[in-house]
Amino acid sequence: MLVFAFALVAFALANVGFTLKGGLPGGAALYLAVYLAIVLLAHLAVRRFAPWADPLLLPLAALLNGLSIVMMDRLSAQVNPATGHPSISASQANLQIAFSAIGIGCFVAVLVLIREPRVLQRYTYTLGAVGILLVALPALLPASISEVYGAKIQIRFGSFTTIQPEEFAKLALAASFAGYLVAKRDVLALAGRRVLGIDLPRARDLGPILLAWAASLLLLIFESDIGTSAVFMGLFVAMLYIATSRTSWLLLGFLMFVVGAFAASRLVGHVHERFDIWLHPFTPANVQGNSFQLVQGLYGMGSGGLLGKGLGGGQPYITPLVQSDLVFTAFGEEIGLAGLMAILLIYGLIVQRGLRTAILVKDPFSKLLAGGLSFMLALQVFVIVGGVTRLIPLTGITTPFLSQGGSSLVGSWILIALLVRLSDTARRPPPRPIQEEGLTQVVTLN
Amino acid sequence: MNRSLRRISIAVLVMFVLLLVNVNYLQGFDAANLASKPGNSRAFYAAQNQYQRGSIVTSDGKVIAASKLSSGNDSIKYQRYYPSGPEYAPVTGYYTIFGATGIEAAKNSLLSGNDSSLDVRKIIDLITGKTTKGATVQVTVNSKAQDAAWNALKAQGKPGAVVAIDPRNGQILALASYPSFDPNDLAIHDGAKLNKIDNRLLKDKAQPLLNRALQGTYPPGSTFKIVTSSALLTQSPSTTINTNVDSPTTLTLPQTQHILHNDQGEVCGDGSGQAPLITAFAQSCDTTFAKIGIRLGANALNDMAQKFGMNNADLTIPLPVAKSNYVIPASQALTAFSAIGQFSDTVTPLQEAMFAAAIANNGTLMKPNLVKQVTASDLSTVQATSQSELSQPVSPSVADSVKHLMLAVVQQQEGTAYAFRQDVTGVEIAGKTGTAETGEVSLNDAAFTSFAPFANPDIAVGVIIQGGGYGASAAAPIAVQVIKAYQQAVGNQ
Repeated sequence: MLVFAFALVAFALANVGFTLKGGLPGGAALYLAVYLAIVLLAHLAVRRFAPWADPLLLPLAALLNGLSIVMMDRLSAQVNPATGHPSISASQANLQIAFSAIGIGCFVAVLVLIREPRVLQRYTYTLGAVGILLVALPALLPASISEVYGAKIQIRFGSFTTIQPEEFAKLALAASFAGYLVAKRDVLALAGRRVLGIDLPRARDLGPILLAWAASLLLLIFESDIGTSAVFMGLFVAMLYIATSRTSWLLLGFLMFVVGAFAASRLVGHVHERFDIWLHPFTPANVQGNSFQLVQGLYGMGSGGLLGKGLGGGQPYITPLVQSDLVFTAFGEEIGLAGLMAILLIYGLIVQRGLRTAILVKDPFSKLLAGGLSFMLALQVFVIVGGVTRLIPLTGITTPFLSQGGSSLVGSWILIALLVRLSDTARRPPPRPIQEEGLTQVVTLN
Repeated sequence: MNRSLRRISIAVLVMFVLLLVNVNYLQGFDAANLASKPGNSRAFYAAQNQYQRGSIVTSDGKVIAASKLSSGNDSIKYQRYYPSGPEYAPVTGYYTIFGATGIEAAKNSLLSGNDSSLDVRKIIDLITGKTTKGATVQVTVNSKAQDAAWNALKAQGKPGAVVAIDPRNGQILALASYPSFDPNDLAIHDGAKLNKIDNRLLKDKAQPLLNRALQGTYPPGSTFKIVTSSALLTQSPSTTINTNVDSPTTLTLPQTQHILHNDQGEVCGDGSGQAPLITAFAQSCDTTFAKIGIRLGANALNDMAQKFGMNNADLTIPLPVAKSNYVIPASQALTAFSAIGQFSDTVTPLQEAMFAAAIANNGTLMKPNLVKQVTASDLSTVQATSQSELSQPVSPSVADSVKHLMLAVVQQQEGTAYAFRQDVTGVEIAGKTGTAETGEVSLNDAAFTSFAPFANPDIAVGVIIQGGGYGASAAAPIAVQVIKAYQQAVGNQ
């Protein structure tokens, strides 16, 4: 599997080299060497520390990460004639492979440090506090170091490096939700009244969902980050549902988010604009203005058609932010519908393996965590891919593994590490009972 | 919990199916639709790089736009260049990495080689192993006439335009606008630099990007008397060019205190208040034609103006042409002004040429066209523009009368353009001068419409010079130079 992923990435890198650089550049060989080294390291770590883990998770994630390295290399190699610069600089492309190495480092660290997923349950409230702090941090900081494209979602160090703490907050909060819900799930599931065939929870048990709702709305209002807010809310509601099996939570959560988002679209300019772009992207004012990015992304995908222009053959540089939020459209332009379907299926497979793990694993905390993490990954892919393909309003969140950016990449690798750990726990054969001849009596029934 | 996990799995499955379906829709079904949406520069770029773009040549074989291999490490394979730059810019337009105008835009699919009419040839090219190239567009412009028009405009130095038409078939022989721009400056592949140059041109007060010949509209002044005379001669068949018409020295306009004078307070004819139509026309008496206009009424003038091609917003040659306007006035006084080419009358220089062309071609106005033919790279003809009638403003007999009126303007001593009589120019030219008031005397627009040779006209020329002053002194000399150059080129002189 890993060999296949490696071969694919090597071929793609060579393709970019021949199309854009007129030959095989030395840089590509270095990229490949580093990529091979870190992927091998991850493989050995899995063999050593999680031998029973699902064998598909690592190769799939590694392939996505490899494609991202190829795309960043490709984007940095072509100058946009309109601006005189490529979409990202060569050093930013180099950073992508550096962050891949850091991400895999974190992957290994998680496997080494967390031998048993249940230990995380002990830190339910600590993780919750850390998560909320990470989310709130950019909102509290001055805009000069936290605002980017109208949303306050990052912390800037110096002029070059930025961290998006929410990429890590999501993981901490997922673990925290899991711990909380395992403790409270019986009371949440059973207490309450039944109205019109729907089990309504008790008012005082509404506390946590109200809190999550409020938090996600605050995110919307203070950080103007509708995408992440949707992912948080969705994550919490899905985990509540998994824990309690009660549809009322789903309905309630969904309703509250829709109401909140609708209100925000009326009150917060940034959010309102997003809806307008989604509904009317091709009006002349929007095409050259607000919806330029979305529309150029769509044009890129359209020009790619079924098989794409080939890596290096398209003009993804026309689309603003093609390296991060709209990286999916760059793939659409260059490897076409066939490539995009493959990428979506890879994501689907990772999510499916995660959910399978959740069903297999015995311990309720691990079940919730695996289910939550898998659903979060699915939701994130849905929000961003749905956004750039105009299925839903476009909101700026990262595409896991593919987007340029260290936080997202490292966060995604930690998520995969957790899933690998959980699947190892789930699939580990039960310890062999010690056979003591004298104690066991064989009774023959006839 | 497994039951809810399974349900979540189904929800996730639905989400991914939605994404897959949507991506299939976008890239499978909607791609062609997206390619034609506004602002899709990828589609434009794709066409640009596929084949070597075809050339644009004049009717006498001079290359005015061509493509060659780009030099150095250019991501765009071919470089467009324009050997005569600004002179032909109103014809060729420009062709940048972002868009095109002029013939470059109007015949883009043929020039780029992507037109469906070239498909069969492309297959033949594929079999014979020849490189496919874009088609060559031959325009109707005659390089000698164009040179004369451009040089005369440049020498005179004021903003203006010249259009020459072959009245017999509508072919445009010259199309010049001044000041102009060099399309070579815009053909560069460095987008940042291109944006800078483009911004500079757009902000330039002299408006070099404006194709005045087709897109500029100016008051026609007395050249509109061709329309007024045509309407008069059509409406009252008993009137001849020698019929006496009211020609007072001053005219108080109906329902107003406004007194209309002739230019410089001139007396019309012998000062008796009556003058032959031909004299009033040659002298360009405003009072005479104001009175005729009031008598005919605005609707009659409007009908005739429309037949000459005015009020038509849809004319393409195939370059789009701005609408020349005759607005029906609300009062008789304003009708009087409209009859002498004032009030809200505005015309393009092309329209100016069309006035003379219709008269020269015995009252039949041929549709002006700029493209002679399109040939594929194997020299076979892909498209040949067939001549067609646009309208018939006047009968041949009325046209003959107006011809003689216009002849008098140049060949009779009292004519406003007597300075260009046959003795001086060597060609028997007929025409009509126009001097349109724009408020300040020094800023009068000069207009001249003409055809030649009188006996057998093969060229009609319209000239408008902004702020040129008198039509006879600013516009007519340019028309004469174009006519002479063309007569020499076709061997009439």
